[in-house]
Amino acid sequence: MADAVRTGARAPATDRFTMARLLRAREAGVFIALLVLCLFLSFATDGFLTSLNLLNVGRQISLLGIMAVGMTFVLIAGEVDLSVGSTYAFSGLATGMLIIAGWALLPAIGVGLLTGVAIGLINGVLSTYGRLPSLIATLGMLSIVRGAALILTNGQPVTVNARNGALPDVLQTFSFIGQGYLFTIIPMQLVFFVIVAVLAWIVLSFSNFGFRVYAVGGSAKAARVSGISVNKVKISAFILMGVLAALAGILGLAFLPSSQAGRTGLGLELDVIAATIVGGASLSGGEGTILGTILGVLIIGVMRNGLVLLGVSPFVQELMIGLVIIIAVGIDKWSTRRTG
Amino acid sequence: MTEQQTPAPIVEISGLTKRFPGVLALDRISVGFRAGEVHAVIGENGAGKSTLMNILAGDLQPDGGEIRIDGSRATIASPLASRAAGITVVYQELALCPTLTIAENIMMSDMAARSSLSFVPRDQMRREARAALTRLGMGALDPDTKVSRLSVAEMQLVEIAGAIRQRARVLVLDEPNSALSKRESERLFEIVKQLRGEGVTVIYVSHHLKEVLDLADRITVMRDGRTIETIDNDGLSEDRLIRAMVGRDLDTAAQWSLQPEARSDEAAIVLSVEKLTAPGLDRLSFHARAGEILGIGGLPDSGKDMLGEALFGLCQRSGRVTIDGKELRATDPQASIRNGMALVPADRRGAGALLSMSVANNVVSASLPRFSMVGFMRRGAVRREARAQVARLDARISHLSQKLATLSGGNQQKIILGRSLVTNPRVLVLHEPTRGVDVGAKAEIYAILRGIAGEGVAVVMISSEIPELIMNAERVLVLRNGGISGELTGAGINEEAILARAMAS
Repeated sequence: MADAVRTGARAPATDRFTMARLLRAREAGVFIALLVLCLFLSFATDGFLTSLNLLNVGRQISLLGIMAVGMTFVLIAGEVDLSVGSTYAFSGLATGMLIIAGWALLPAIGVGLLTGVAIGLINGVLSTYGRLPSLIATLGMLSIVRGAALILTNGQPVTVNARNGALPDVLQTFSFIGQGYLFTIIPMQLVFFVIVAVLAWIVLSFSNFGFRVYAVGGSAKAARVSGISVNKVKISAFILMGVLAALAGILGLAFLPSSQAGRTGLGLELDVIAATIVGGASLSGGEGTILGTILGVLIIGVMRNGLVLLGVSPFVQELMIGLVIIIAVGIDKWSTRRTG
Repeated sequence: MTEQQTPAPIVEISGLTKRFPGVLALDRISVGFRAGEVHAVIGENGAGKSTLMNILAGDLQPDGGEIRIDGSRATIASPLASRAAGITVVYQELALCPTLTIAENIMMSDMAARSSLSFVPRDQMRREARAALTRLGMGALDPDTKVSRLSVAEMQLVEIAGAIRQRARVLVLDEPNSALSKRESERLFEIVKQLRGEGVTVIYVSHHLKEVLDLADRITVMRDGRTIETIDNDGLSEDRLIRAMVGRDLDTAAQWSLQPEARSDEAAIVLSVEKLTAPGLDRLSFHARAGEILGIGGLPDSGKDMLGEALFGLCQRSGRVTIDGKELRATDPQASIRNGMALVPADRRGAGALLSMSVANNVVSASLPRFSMVGFMRRGAVRREARAQVARLDARISHLSQKLATLSGGNQQKIILGRSLVTNPRVLVLHEPTRGVDVGAKAEIYAILRGIAGEGVAVVMISSEIPELIMNAERVLVLRNGGISGELTGAGINEEAILARAMAS
């Protein structure tokens, strides 16, 4: 009788870093797609392959990227967060109003981030102890947080400038965070994104917490009987998401110091989820990587940038982005149809 | 057994009660599990075994009674508390993360015990996982393999490896080998014996009386939420256990040893299969006559598990499958139904049934056109048909709108049989027709199948349970490596003959 244990065809343990293994990795497809896209744009346009433009792309994707990093945790844990666009607006506005009220920068940002923590905590508790599907819980929170932002600002735009009461030195630092350049060339937003991504990569790939996130999303039951507190892990993922959405919101306001509760970050949650999904995270949980998410964010960022350089109308751009989402995820599904 | 004066129980349960809405799942049960014994817990479905195991696992809290561990009263408040008390439950439905690797799964509990902020020690994890696998004789498995790529049998052994690694003092195996091949089961039994030798208490929940008799030191029989008795396994017979489980005397001669009467070769050939080739099957040719029960046996990797789907057209295939001379198109299950084939798949929860829908809707779900008019369901006709099938099959349900998920395994299987019968099949293909079905319902299902065959339907019974084939089939085809390695008829059908043909190399 054939011994199933021995005959199962699988990769030997030793080729962990071979080319074949690299190419099999989930990220390889996205990476190749990105490479092809960049090559095409380098030849098709004059402006694409310049350090200025590339750094510009880096800045444009940073806020989306910071949020997509958070979304990666939430999706791997088997949940989803639709409230991030509203959190983005609310936290930015909260920080902006405190700065206008004459607060120092760090407390103002701290409170802004805390609003993100609070929203994430509520999302997490509703989705775990509250036994609501996170799709529903965060759909509710999307409206609640947006409504709260409207009430807080009375629907009026909030503009952070000296005339409205911001202290000059606070204003200067705040502007630098959003609009400044490190070493006069690297956009500060990109610096934040890189820091967030590296930290998240370390946490997700190497820490015990990261392991738990994968375990919880892969099989909540397996995690539970192993003694992992499924609810705590999920709530932590939501809180991380909330903080990162808040951080992005604050950076967004620092870049463009006027915000309106009814407009800012509207629909942003879908861009964030799209980028994360293109990067290989699975809506059913257990799968996804920070590297994949970064590639997903880059694809969408490079795509938008390229379409602008090519002079494609913004309407067509929107359509193209949709196609990319379907094709990127589709290629993965169609090519990995189970072989046995 | 050793000569020690009845060692004190390591886990002692007394007067344990668990109530669910409308059901008393456990009714003041008492049982003691001793150190270093294999203690089988048997009983029909619904006897309360799973509830008891879930309480030991910390998944459920009892409503009354007490659990003593090492003599002192204990509350198993959570799965973690259960593990801390040295109890590990290996569930029937595997608790593994398919997206993680073998090593990550085996080491998950260790990870859970560490700080969230610590780093994952990959190398140590791999090393210790490999050691745990080697201990089970599975050293050939790569600990970096994703669990989703393993066979069910491998997954099960991985889960047991995880349990053993945690130095469980009490290991609960819930139907551990329903998915294992004979060889894998034997390895499992060796492991169980090895653990017993090391002083581990193994609580073994199983439907397989033969292996319980082979393996257990003591056997506790449960029925209707009560512990009926705990007996030393000393000269017990299957009949004795069945009587205790069922609580009435089954006429064992009539129920279990009835050799099907030989049918004449005159009956018309209904199903004809020529050079059927599909995943796992290689140019298979056979036929089935009207009114016969044709058994199909073989080891898990023989291809028999693909046969049902291949015949029914659920996968790509080549070769010819004809019913009454009409050829069935591949990959067109609807045409298969129209031309008179019905399939009862093995995987009831997945492919077999619409668990979240009502009994009535399940009964008609394979014949919707007949029960609808301009796109609307004819509710009256649906209910009439469902009622008729429920009566015919003696399915015990409370009402026709009851969700299938709330029925016992045996009754679910009867409803699925009913669904197949509504299509008026000429050929009824059953894959593992009594998997997860309790003893009493099994006998009923066999009787039903004989009745169906008696009406001139060709019944093809694909089964891993050899006694089931012996009891019911007039002719048995044994598969090996995707082809037929032997055909047995009449008195030639016996366990040795089937095994010999299944395992010959």
